[in-house]
Amino acid sequence: MKLSKLQIAAGLVLAIVGLAAALRATTYFVSKLEYKAPERAAAPPATPRDQGVRDEHEAQAKKDAAKPYAEAEYRAFPAVGSRVAVWVVAQLHLLFAAFVLAVPIFALIIEFIGYRTGDKRYDHLAYEFTKLLSVSFSLTATFGAFLTFLLIALYPKFTNYLMSVFSPTFLPYVLLFFLEAFFLYTYYYGWGKFSPRVHLLLGLGLNLVGTAIMLIANAWLTFMMSPRGVSEAGAVISVMDAVTNFTWMPINVHRVIANVAFGGSVAGAYAAVKFLQAKTDEERAHYDWMGYIGNFVAISAFLPLPFAGYWLAKEIYAFSQTLGLTMMGGAFSWLFIIQAVLIGNLFLAANYYLWLGMGRVEGAREFQRWIKYLLVVVALCFMVWATPRSIIATVSEVRAMGGGAHPALGFLGVMSAKNTAVNILILTTFMSFLLYRRTGKTAVVPWKKTGNTAQLAIFGFAAATVIGLGILGYFVEARVRIGLSVPQVGSVLFAMVAITAIDVPLYRGATMSHEVRWGRIPPISQYVLIFIAVTFTWLMGLMGYVRSGLRQHWHVYGVIRDTSVDAFTPTLGFATKVVSVTVLIFFGLIGFVFWLSSLHDQKDWADKQKEKGA
Amino acid sequence: MKLRVPLLAKLGLLIVATTGFYTYVGQMVPQKEVYPPQETVIKADVTTADMVKIGQEIFTGKGLCSTCHTIGKKTGPYRYPDLEGVDARAGTREPGLNDVEYFAKSMHEPDAFIVPGFNPGMPTINKPPIGLNEQEILCVIAYLQSLGGTPNVTLATKHKYNGGDAAPVAQATP
Repeated sequence: MKLSKLQIAAGLVLAIVGLAAALRATTYFVSKLEYKAPERAAAPPATPRDQGVRDEHEAQAKKDAAKPYAEAEYRAFPAVGSRVAVWVVAQLHLLFAAFVLAVPIFALIIEFIGYRTGDKRYDHLAYEFTKLLSVSFSLTATFGAFLTFLLIALYPKFTNYLMSVFSPTFLPYVLLFFLEAFFLYTYYYGWGKFSPRVHLLLGLGLNLVGTAIMLIANAWLTFMMSPRGVSEAGAVISVMDAVTNFTWMPINVHRVIANVAFGGSVAGAYAAVKFLQAKTDEERAHYDWMGYIGNFVAISAFLPLPFAGYWLAKEIYAFSQTLGLTMMGGAFSWLFIIQAVLIGNLFLAANYYLWLGMGRVEGAREFQRWIKYLLVVVALCFMVWATPRSIIATVSEVRAMGGGAHPALGFLGVMSAKNTAVNILILTTFMSFLLYRRTGKTAVVPWKKTGNTAQLAIFGFAAATVIGLGILGYFVEARVRIGLSVPQVGSVLFAMVAITAIDVPLYRGATMSHEVRWGRIPPISQYVLIFIAVTFTWLMGLMGYVRSGLRQHWHVYGVIRDTSVDAFTPTLGFATKVVSVTVLIFFGLIGFVFWLSSLHDQKDWADKQKEKGA
Repeated sequence: MKLRVPLLAKLGLLIVATTGFYTYVGQMVPQKEVYPPQETVIKADVTTADMVKIGQEIFTGKGLCSTCHTIGKKTGPYRYPDLEGVDARAGTREPGLNDVEYFAKSMHEPDAFIVPGFNPGMPTINKPPIGLNEQEILCVIAYLQSLGGTPNVTLATKHKYNGGDAAPVAQATP
C-alpha cells in the first residue's frame, strides 16, 4: 500500500500532538504523587520540612557567595578523554585546511597555463578543482572554531598561556581570514565574470592570504615544540622571536609542499570517483585527464618532500638533541618504520599508476619493457627502507642472531642504508615520470642523441653518488656519516633539475607518433588514485601525531609542563587507531564535499520530473 | 547471475581496508607507553652507596642519559661517548679538573668541552626539559664515579656549580 503525502503529513501531526499530550499527562500525574503535608492545602504553615529546605537553600547561597575564583587547569571530555578529542578535531581541521590551502595553488597554476596557451580545457579543469573549495572552507572554519572551544574548555590554563604569548597575532589572523573568504568566494563565483588577468590576480591574492594564515598558525604550534622569545619561566620577552622560532620556517616549507601533495591526491581521488561514475567516453576522458593532473601534482610535490623533512629534522636536532633523539632513537623511532611502509606504498602506487597510464598510448611498448627493472628497484628500496635496525624477537631468536639486530639484515636498518634507499626510490620514480612523458613522442632536435647521453650520465652520476656515499657511511664516524646525507640529497635534486632542464627543450616540438587516448585506462587505476589519497591522508595524520607527540609530557617543550592525566605518551598501536578513525571521518566528510560539488552538474529537480513525465 | 557491487560500497571497502591495513601495521611494532619521569626523593642522610643506586635510576630514567650514552658497548658506531670506565678518564680530561668537577661541568656546561671525535649536542642537565636538581646531579656523579672508579661524593660535596670552588682534587667531605 502506498501512502499519500496528505496521509504522511497527518500522521506526523498526530504523532507530535500525541507526544505533547503524553508529556503533559505525565507531568500532571507526577506532580500529584509529590508528598504534601495534610494541612498544606489550606494555608501552608512553616513545617519542619519547609524550614529545613529554606535553611539548606540559604546555606548553599552563602557557600556560593563565598566561593573563591579558581582557574581550572584541565577539564575532562566524556568517553574518549580530552587529549583524543583535541587530537581528532585538530587533525580534521588540519586536513581540511591543507586541502583549502593546496587546491588554490595548483588551480591558479592550471588556470595560468590555460590563459597562456589559450586552451580552454585548462580553465575548465581549474574551475572543477575550485568547485571543491567552498564547502571545504566552511568545514575548515567549523573545525577551527571547534578546536578553539575545545582548547579553551579542556586546557584553559595552557590555552591562556598561549594566548598571552601570541595575542598580538590574533587580530591580523582574523583580518586575514576575512580576506581569505573574500578572495575565495570572489575567485570561485567570479569565474568567467572578470577579465582573465583580474581573475588570476584574485587567485594570487587567495594564495598569498592563505599562506599568510598558515604562517601565523604555524608560529603557534611550532612554538610549542621549539619555544623561543620567552624566559625560562615562560615570560614573554619577544613575540617576534616566539613567532620565528627554530622550527617555524622548516615547518612552513614542509607544510606548503605536503599540502600540495595531499591536495593533489584528494583532487585526484575526486576525479577517480567521477571517472568510475562516468556514463560516456567523453566524461571518462575528462576525468582520466583530471585524475592524471591531480596525481602529477601530488607526486611532483611528494618527491622533494623528504628533503624538506630532512631540514625540519636537522632543525629539531639543532634546537634540542634530546628532542631529536626522542624522535629518531627513542619512543618514536618505530613510528618511522610505519612511515616507511606508507611512503613505500605511495611510491609503488604512484609508479603503478604511471605504468598503467602508458596504456593510453599505442607506442608505449618501447618504454614498457623498462618497467620490470624499475619495479625491482622500487621493491628492493622499499624492503631496505622498511627494515628495522632491531626487531621484536623471542629470547631464543635473540640468542640465535647474537644480539637484538639481525647479523645481515641489521645492516640495512641503519640510516646509511635508509637514506640510500629513499634517494634511489625518488630517482626511480622520477625516471618513471620521464618515461611516461616521452610515451608516444619522438624528439626532433638535432642534438637529441647528445641530450639523451647527457641525461643518462647525470642519472648515473646521481645514482653512483647516492650508493657510494651510502656505503661510505658504514666506515666513518657518526658526525661524518650524518653529513653525508647532504651530498646524497644534493645529487638527487641536481639530477632532477638538470635532467628536466634538458628534457624540456629536447622534446619541444616533438612529433607525436601516437595520440594519447584519455579515458583508455583500466578502472583499477582509479582505485589506485583513491588508495594514494587515503595513504597520503593517513601519512599526514601519523606525522601530525609525531610532531605533536614529540613534546611528550610538555605542553610547551621545556617551559610549560603537562600535568594532566594524559601527560604520558600512548603506544603507537593506540596512536594508529586514532589516526585511522580521523582518516575515516575525513573521508566521510570529503565524500560529502564531492557529492555537493557534483550536484552543481546535475539537472534541476523540476527538469527531472518533466523528463519522467515525458 | 553476476552480482554487481555498488560503487559506493567498493570505495568504502577500499578506504576501510587501507586504513585497517595501516592500523594493523601500527599494532605490529613494539608497544610502549612512556610516562613522565618520577620525582626522586633524596633523604638528607643518604649514603654514597645509596647515591650510586639513585644515580643509576636517574641515568636511565629522568635524566634520559641512556638515550644517548651507552655503557660497555664494544663496537661502534657510537652516537655519543660510551661511559664504560669513564671515571678513570674523567680526572685527566681537562687540566686542573678532578673527576667530580669534570662531571659537574659536563652536565652544567655541556658544550664547554667536547670529547674528540663527537659532535656537541648534550643538553644542559640542570635546565628544562631534563631539569635535574643539584642533589640529583650529585647522585648521577656518584654513579659515574662507580664506572671505573670509587664513588666518594656525598650530598655535602661542593663543586663549582653548587657553591664550591673549582678545586683540583676530589672532595670527599662528609
